[in-house]
Amino acid sequence: MLANYIKIAWKVLLRHPFYTFITLFGISLTLTVLMLLTSFLDHLIGAHYPETKRNRTLYIERIVMQDSARQSMMSNSMSFKFLTDYAKTVKAAERVTIFSYFNGSNAYVGSRKIKLNITFSDADFWRVSDFKFIEGKPYNEQNIANGDYVAVITDDFKKHYFANSDEPVIGKNVEIESINYKVIGVVKGSPITRPFTHADVYFPYTAPKSNYQNSGMVGNFIAMVLAKDPSELKAVQSEFQSNIAKIPLPGNQGGFKYNILEVRSDPYLINFLTAILHGGPGLRNIFYGVIGFVMLMVMGLPAINLVNLNVGRILERSSEIGVRKAFGAPVKTLMWQFIVENIFITFIGGGIALILTYILIQIINTSGWIAYADLTINFKVFLVSIVVCLVFGLLSGVLPALRMSKLSIIDALKS
Amino acid sequence: MIRHLFKLIWNKKQTHALLIIEIWASFLVLFGLATLIFYNVRNYIQPLGFEYENVWAMSLNNNQDTIAIQEKVETIFAHVKGFPEVQSVSRMSDSYPFSQSNNSRTVKYNNVATQIGVVVADENLSKTIDIPLIKGKWYRNADSIGKYIPVVINRKAEALLFENQSAVGKILSDYDGKATWIVSGVIDHYKDKAEFMENKPFLFELLKSKDIWNKTLVIHVKPGTDAIFEAKLVKGISSIAKGWSTDIVYLTDARQKQHDMTLIPVLIFLIVCSFLLINVALGLFGILNLSIARRRGEIGLRRAMGATEKMVTAQFLGEIWVLSTFSVILGLILAVQFPLLNVFDVAAGIYGIAIVTATLIIFVIVTLCAWYPSSQASRIHPAIALHED
Repeated sequence: MLANYIKIAWKVLLRHPFYTFITLFGISLTLTVLMLLTSFLDHLIGAHYPETKRNRTLYIERIVMQDSARQSMMSNSMSFKFLTDYAKTVKAAERVTIFSYFNGSNAYVGSRKIKLNITFSDADFWRVSDFKFIEGKPYNEQNIANGDYVAVITDDFKKHYFANSDEPVIGKNVEIESINYKVIGVVKGSPITRPFTHADVYFPYTAPKSNYQNSGMVGNFIAMVLAKDPSELKAVQSEFQSNIAKIPLPGNQGGFKYNILEVRSDPYLINFLTAILHGGPGLRNIFYGVIGFVMLMVMGLPAINLVNLNVGRILERSSEIGVRKAFGAPVKTLMWQFIVENIFITFIGGGIALILTYILIQIINTSGWIAYADLTINFKVFLVSIVVCLVFGLLSGVLPALRMSKLSIIDALKS
Repeated sequence: MIRHLFKLIWNKKQTHALLIIEIWASFLVLFGLATLIFYNVRNYIQPLGFEYENVWAMSLNNNQDTIAIQEKVETIFAHVKGFPEVQSVSRMSDSYPFSQSNNSRTVKYNNVATQIGVVVADENLSKTIDIPLIKGKWYRNADSIGKYIPVVINRKAEALLFENQSAVGKILSDYDGKATWIVSGVIDHYKDKAEFMENKPFLFELLKSKDIWNKTLVIHVKPGTDAIFEAKLVKGISSIAKGWSTDIVYLTDARQKQHDMTLIPVLIFLIVCSFLLINVALGLFGILNLSIARRRGEIGLRRAMGATEKMVTAQFLGEIWVLSTFSVILGLILAVQFPLLNVFDVAAGIYGIAIVTATLIIFVIVTLCAWYPSSQASRIHPAIALHED
């Protein structure tokens, strides 16, 4: 029976190739845009290499100081000393790493200039993140205590810096800003869309120019706090906040008098949105406005289009319904036929969308548009959008058919 | 005729409701897209106001070194200037042209207060990146002995603060009302975040000789200067100032980065919108094809009564135009809120052009979609059409 329905559905599709094309175009386009969008969002905020433990990591990115009237505000990253005193001491955490946000620098090889980003970190950085070492190993507490001039570089930087990039480079020197560092490890790089772990060259924080010696609270360091389990994030957060509460208020930071001090430790998504959600009502309105507009565009328009077309086309099926009813088909059987037909076309559209998305993602990943891009198809989103398409298809294709099949046979046959 | 068309549409308002919603939504999408494009195009056609080819920006950071910063910066400045490859060099704050950082302050003149972008720079900046002056002159380092800090403002700032008067020689006050700056010259444009930036009010302040914070060097090199010289430059600096960081950025690269930040979202938006509109156009074509084909009897009758092919086509086009007018009016109610409430800080003129463009495109699309099915249907011979009924 099902095979028969599918055969009929196929014939119906072929009867008006143009309308079939419009329907498929609408379904597959909507699904493709939706999947690309979510795949990109997932790339930005999901737990991926090398931040695979994002679901149990808290990010401490900025210290915000305000006067009592909340008139003037100062927001900055923190000093190494501040984070050592207040974040490193959190006992509920499994590990805490302190590192600097990446910074631009240059290296010169012969007549070539290489633009690169550098990060200074402690040894725990390599335990909190999950970098894959292609060669060598990370620097450890011993290297840091000795103040060794060592560096971990990415495979991409290795390819650019060393003439013969097939040979291992452990123990060789890289010269950055006129200082020689010994390469101790080579890792697979992290894309720039993960700004916490992205860099081309990683140095221990005791290397020159890291400014870890800064006293005071502000500096160029940030921290990631790894909890033992996602359920313990709350406990870690509250312990960190109780540490922060010990700082005497009001205080003075480099001439700036503050009465209110805020240091947030948030999961990645919330930290990511903080800049928008705390950026004043204007920015928040724009953010919601843009999201609403995009949703209206991407989902609403094709849905209206699909419903419109389906409702318009159902009339041409009336004589078919009439004939089948005249030969004794019950309403239930007729409904099944239309349902199968709708599911069939939605799945074809979904299939096309899947192939299209796969091709586009491959193009984005290999184009070098974002270095180390690792976009993947999110099947959960795919399933949800298929269901949404089905709902619209059924609403617009099956409901009118149901109404029509309840007509008396004579009326249906006449039109 | 038009009244008749309205009546025809009104009688079938339920069937047309979905069509109206579809055109309405397309209108809003087009309005958004047109606003975005016109906003950027209008910014782009205004002149940049300075030269960036063969200009490098070098940021210096003294890190843990706190001894004799000012002397070291001066030595580095002289060292850089000494090279034959260097045409001109200027010292300024971190917000060099095309940089990601910016700085702004409230500036007052009499009762007018406005937020103005501030750049701190020495006397060489106008020469190094070639900013032409339209009034007065660029300040000299020697001017720092006066009571007020000499500044150069752009024409936009002059218009905001002084309306029709000339700014040269006037005294400006800061947020607290304290007289702080004296205007020594006026420049035309300075769009320091590249071509797609809106022309904003700007102020250049003379860099104080004892300043140890602002130490970015903007260097204009001779054409063809390469990385070998750059490496030599960096080496020289690290021998003058041990432990300092240097980062050299080519302004052409920084400009590209600024362009990418503007253009990539616009491009993605444009691609998605065009696919959506193709989708809508195809759907509209399909629906009109169906609904017009269903009215063959009516067409036959009109043809039999002496209506020409053209008149029949005109009727269907007229119907869809009336429908689109309904939708566009509904869309306009929403669209005019943007300039009225000033939602995105975009000039009202931009919204006006965007509304006109979106309306035009909507009418072109519906005309194209309706023209083929209606001209096809109008060719039916009345005898055949009437016979079928």
